[in-house]
Amino acid sequence: VSGGGAGAADAREPAAGPARRLDAEQLELGGGLEVLLQAALAGMAPGEQVDVVTRSRAVALELPGWARLEGHAAGDPRRVERPGRDGAAAAATGGRAPSGPPPPERDRGRWAVRLRRGPGDRVAVAADATDTRSPDRRRPPAPGDARPSGAAVPSAGSQQRGALAPPLRDGGRFHTADWRDGGLAPPVPEEAGRTAGLAPLGALPEPGAPAFDWPLHRREQLWAADVAELAEQATAEQWDATADVPWATAAELPEPLDRAVAQVMTFIAQNEYAALYVPAAFLPQVHPAFPEALQWLAGHVHDEARHVEVFTKRALLCRTPGHALAATELSLRTLLDERDFTNAALLLNVLGEGTFLDLLRFVERHAPDPATAAAARLAHRDERRHVHFGVSHVRRALAGDPDRRAALVAAAEQRAAKLTELTGLSPLLTEGLTILAAGSLRPAALSDGAAAVRGLTATMEENRLRRLRAAGFDAATARRLSELHTPNLM
Amino acid sequence: MSARSDPITVGAVAYHPRIVTIWERFRSYFAEAGVPTDYLLYSNYERLIDAVLAGEVEIGWNTNTAFVALERRLGREARILGMRDVDAAYATVIVTRRGEAFDDPRELAGRRLALGSRDSGHAAILPLHHLGREGLDAAADCALVRFDTDLGKHGDTGDSELRVVQAVAEGGADAGALGDATWAAFRAAGLPATHGLEVAWRSPVYSHCNFTALPGLDAALAERWTAALLAMDRDDPPLREAMDLEGVRRWLPGDRAGYADLFAAVAAQERAEAAT
Repeated sequence: VSGGGAGAADAREPAAGPARRLDAEQLELGGGLEVLLQAALAGMAPGEQVDVVTRSRAVALELPGWARLEGHAAGDPRRVERPGRDGAAAAATGGRAPSGPPPPERDRGRWAVRLRRGPGDRVAVAADATDTRSPDRRRPPAPGDARPSGAAVPSAGSQQRGALAPPLRDGGRFHTADWRDGGLAPPVPEEAGRTAGLAPLGALPEPGAPAFDWPLHRREQLWAADVAELAEQATAEQWDATADVPWATAAELPEPLDRAVAQVMTFIAQNEYAALYVPAAFLPQVHPAFPEALQWLAGHVHDEARHVEVFTKRALLCRTPGHALAATELSLRTLLDERDFTNAALLLNVLGEGTFLDLLRFVERHAPDPATAAAARLAHRDERRHVHFGVSHVRRALAGDPDRRAALVAAAEQRAAKLTELTGLSPLLTEGLTILAAGSLRPAALSDGAAAVRGLTATMEENRLRRLRAAGFDAATARRLSELHTPNLM
Repeated sequence: MSARSDPITVGAVAYHPRIVTIWERFRSYFAEAGVPTDYLLYSNYERLIDAVLAGEVEIGWNTNTAFVALERRLGREARILGMRDVDAAYATVIVTRRGEAFDDPRELAGRRLALGSRDSGHAAILPLHHLGREGLDAAADCALVRFDTDLGKHGDTGDSELRVVQAVAEGGADAGALGDATWAAFRAAGLPATHGLEVAWRSPVYSHCNFTALPGLDAALAERWTAALLAMDRDDPPLREAMDLEGVRRWLPGDRAGYADLFAAVAAQERAEAAT
């Protein structure tokens, strides 16, 4: 048959001629020899030959079968060194004193098997690290081939980064963003192959893996300029709801404060559930080529789980259970219904959590005990990051696509349409906040408390507008979005 | 060049469900390569040989035993269209427990020798043949411990060889014969039974499976089919899975020389059976 490349004889027998030598000593297959062989063969070109020299006849006898399974040709085992009359045992034990009976004659001296490296690499490499299944890319470019622009992925065996030092910040901190910025890791892709697999940043994906389907596979869908830094911050600012709150100070409060704290804590915890489930739902949609975004969302979810924990714990320390209100649930349900990442970032991060920043600040200021104050303060620290991400992401989305503004307003309108039954903040919550600020049911104090709550709603609106403007909305749209925002706060 | 629009038909034995995966992929490949090929599966090699001889399929994907049986029934040379790289320079090994290896196969006289399925070229027929050439009439001088599992599949499933290895490891036999590639695969899989064993003997090399057609197959078509087979590239991701399942890294043209020993072994076996 012509045109078939190497003939059958070629695969059967290595030829005479030059060969490297690999001393396998007493290594066995299944005992480390295959590691040595693979390392040697990886450094050889197809067609190059190596004489594997072993002290064991058994190893020599099974080497050809191993080689063939690995795609290499092998010659017959041959004895290359017969034992002398003296020193036979020394040769067979590598010069060490034999610890047991001398080896049998067949294992004295040396045996050799000639291998010729077969074609191909053990692991194939996709041409595009973020797209392992692009149908028009059947194989990695060979050395010397013209490469697709921007792709720097030669064939597997020769893939080397060279010696690298991590770009460390003070104190030895290693940020992924610095790795990217220094050109040591691939840049953030504008679009990653939607069906690609779970390849870590910088890894060489093997083609032929099962297809995934990542809805969030374009950078514009989920990115924020500082997402990597925000993820780093989130890691650095973790806290412990069990140990970092002075729980001993959450002493029994007199009525009506106990009931007020129970209701406010229950309301916040109820809302934190929604803040947890929204990013959690997006997490498995994010393409693995955006590890910073994954890290960010995972941290977000973890933060919210901790918020649920800390406010639940504080509510449990009250004598009276708070109410998980149906109206609150209705509002949160509409938030969970949002399927678009950017819409959710506006509704949850910018509007919902943004408004909660002011609520948490209010609770901290008027908390009747240090434990409640600490819970609000620590949660506020996390929520600030979440709001920052939302503002940053929405600003980027608006800058990249002017039509995005209308879609965002439509999302807010649709949500508001589902919430027409909500006419204002729940009276139970308003009362709870008022008592919190008043400290008692004395009329004068209540008057001050009510004024503080009115001040809170004014602050909330003012800050909401400020955040919307920061996210890139014009004044009129910001006003419209703020008006559409749920009376439930989140 | 002869033009043919209907597909060329290949028969194969369905010794494992993966055979369907393999041939569905190969079928697509051959269609893309411009040599439309369809496949029929049989439960055993005897049926496959019947099908090739009867013209039910044009090409049989045969074991070496099936190829020899086919040519013997045909009475003349068939046409070999290709083989896997692993089929060239195939060998049988005999394993013993570690430390019990022999220098000369005749030392196995009076001992228990485990063999795979009696229709397996590599795990039964050829080891007996080659041991005979080295002076050991194993059928007469050894206690044969045969594992005749999956008869009709010619050892393809590897089941009988697994039992051979386990028998030697557990003391049910003193030595056992199996294909060198099977042994290497057991080793690579970390099969615990291999840990306490060593290879004591290795047969001369022979050829294993091949694609066989009757001599009357259109020569130009046969050449085109072989050319397409040999052009399969394991670096092509959709092919890689199928090729790995088939145990082939690249396809090679066929070679008759590697079957001479098996022809001799089968003829001798037939004579021996006729004599008893």
